[in-house]
Amino acid sequence: MIEKEIIDKIKKKFKVEGSIQRERRVIVKTAPDKLVELCKFIKDLGFEHLSSLSVTDWPKRGIYEHTYHAWSYKDKILITIKTEINRDKPEIDSVYLVWGESAQIHEREMHELFGVEYKGNPDLSPLFLEEWHEKPPFRKDFDWREYVRKNFYDKENERERVYFEEV
Amino acid sequence: MELETIGKNEYELFFGPAHPGSGNFSVKLKIDGERIVSARVYPGYLHRGFEKLMEYRLPIQNAVLSDRICILEALAWNLIHAEAVEELMGVEIPERAKYIRVIMAELSRIQSHLIWYGVLSIGTGFDTGFKLAFGYRDFILDLFELITGGRVYPAGYICPGGVRRDPPDTAKEKILNVLDKIEEMIDFERAENPLHLARLKDIGVLKLEDAIKLGATGPVIRASGLKTDVRKEEPYEVYDNFDFEIPVRKEGDAYARFQIGLEEMEQSVSIIRQALKRLPEGDFIDKKFSKPKLNMKIPEGEVYIRNEIARGEAGIYMVSDGDTKPYRVKIRGPSFLHLIPVLEFLLKGAQIADVPAIYWSLNGCPADLDR
Amino acid sequence: MTKESPQKKTMKKLIKAIWVLNWFNSCGFAELIPVVASRWDMERFGMIVVGNPRHADVLFIAGYQTLKSIKRAQRIYEQMPEPRVVIALGSCTMTGGMYWDSYNTIKRLEDYLPVTMYIPGCPPRPEAVFEACAKIFKHVEEME
Repeated sequence: MIEKEIIDKIKKKFKVEGSIQRERRVIVKTAPDKLVELCKFIKDLGFEHLSSLSVTDWPKRGIYEHTYHAWSYKDKILITIKTEINRDKPEIDSVYLVWGESAQIHEREMHELFGVEYKGNPDLSPLFLEEWHEKPPFRKDFDWREYVRKNFYDKENERERVYFEEV
Repeated sequence: MELETIGKNEYELFFGPAHPGSGNFSVKLKIDGERIVSARVYPGYLHRGFEKLMEYRLPIQNAVLSDRICILEALAWNLIHAEAVEELMGVEIPERAKYIRVIMAELSRIQSHLIWYGVLSIGTGFDTGFKLAFGYRDFILDLFELITGGRVYPAGYICPGGVRRDPPDTAKEKILNVLDKIEEMIDFERAENPLHLARLKDIGVLKLEDAIKLGATGPVIRASGLKTDVRKEEPYEVYDNFDFEIPVRKEGDAYARFQIGLEEMEQSVSIIRQALKRLPEGDFIDKKFSKPKLNMKIPEGEVYIRNEIARGEAGIYMVSDGDTKPYRVKIRGPSFLHLIPVLEFLLKGAQIADVPAIYWSLNGCPADLDR
Repeated sequence: MTKESPQKKTMKKLIKAIWVLNWFNSCGFAELIPVVASRWDMERFGMIVVGNPRHADVLFIAGYQTLKSIKRAQRIYEQMPEPRVVIALGSCTMTGGMYWDSYNTIKRLEDYLPVTMYIPGCPPRPEAVFEACAKIFKHVEEME
């Protein structure tokens, strides 16, 4: 099976946890300091297309979990690489040197929405929001319904009273 | 007081969001004479924070919200969200529902390509094409209203578990009539138009190595020479039962992208005809979902689904921690990559008059860029 | 029976055509374009779409607005010459609609622009837009 061969090739060079989720899906977990080397290695194995990059916020465990999804046109497999970094001071190396512009634009979005610092990314200016001075909007401790009720709606207004009732 | 010198002849031009040559999207160009030196994109006019809105709602509510990710192909986003929830819950849906979903997704693809043809024509000055394309598109919208109840927003027709209701008995004949009309439109488009040739040939050339590095997918990368399609590489629903081809070109310019849109419409018409012949009888929704309970829990896990929508490759990454609502949803839209890195790369060295032609030939939807 | 003032008579003659500036956000785009295109043709009634706010009489705000885009809409409104009319299209524009708990969309259009007419719907059908256009003609006549 191709999925098993790929995990074995990676395990020969790096110390990682690998598993097969289902057909065509391989998951690999690694530490953040080995991230860029591992990404260069799998790009040479054929995973040239970075499909997506995302951050999940786990406040109970105190981490931000990064996931990188890369697709190989040659073998038709998707590999998911996961790392964990600290939530209060999130910093990680950028994968711009590995996958180019497609990685750079995803990291710019994650910097704005979650507040992660990417070392080595040439451009981290704001993308969607203008003059936003509060904390990064997609963190779990920023409650949107509280924010909207305080800033946009008025309890005295007849039309808007319904938004103050909890569903 | 300091004056910024940017060169003797250079000036900056802002193609703002209210310009008829662009959508809700603005580009700042640095121009020297008639040539563009560099371009920078300023998106964000449509940002709603979609991904976190989905965390506050149940999957049955998200099915209605998911068609508003991009209005121009609402059913395709409905489908990808339903697939993600079903894979997390481990549900197998009945065969009839899969065939109906494929028919609706292909109709949505044809409708989106007609919009592409219409706005590309009006961007290059061919007004007749615009009027015809939107006229023929209305036949498909009437079909949507007959089957799902809404002209553009199907109100969550493709929900987790199957489809909401069975199409009526007259639907099959009406679909076949509409397909004949669409074939008339394709014949019209196929005629070689000297206006299109003059304004689109050799404009905005994208080579294959650049396309992979910049993250292009879908028709944009097929026009640059790579034969790839998610429906053939990772078949979802029942696409492995159908017989269709993948059109590929090598030139990588705007004319090649335009021709690929046309050929994809033909392939979609053929898929719908095959699906209508083989439509089986049976249930249209899984028993557990036909009367959904409000406290149905999603088992713990994560899933990444890829689909091929009209604009390129769409992806959804859903994480659940055992609660009734999803924990994190990440939506990967094709326009995010096409309109920021690819557009900035293609506009370098182009002329000002070519900016609408390059922009519309990439077929981007600003709504699924900003989400 | 009151006699019509001479001003009203001239107004009735002049209002044959109204020029419209469309400010589409995403949802308005896909449903207002058929109003302009072949099936429901706006040009029969004398309304065309112009690209420059200085030529327009009516501003259609179609689709939800975010904080970034409402500032641009305000600038466009300031450039329009009098008499001018603002029409709000869609439920997300009027009350926040489906995105009521989003941090970036505006919830009450009247805080930013003076609205004359509301058209509800998600999105409103082209026939509803037509009925609104018919009412504009009547409204402009009664404005004097």
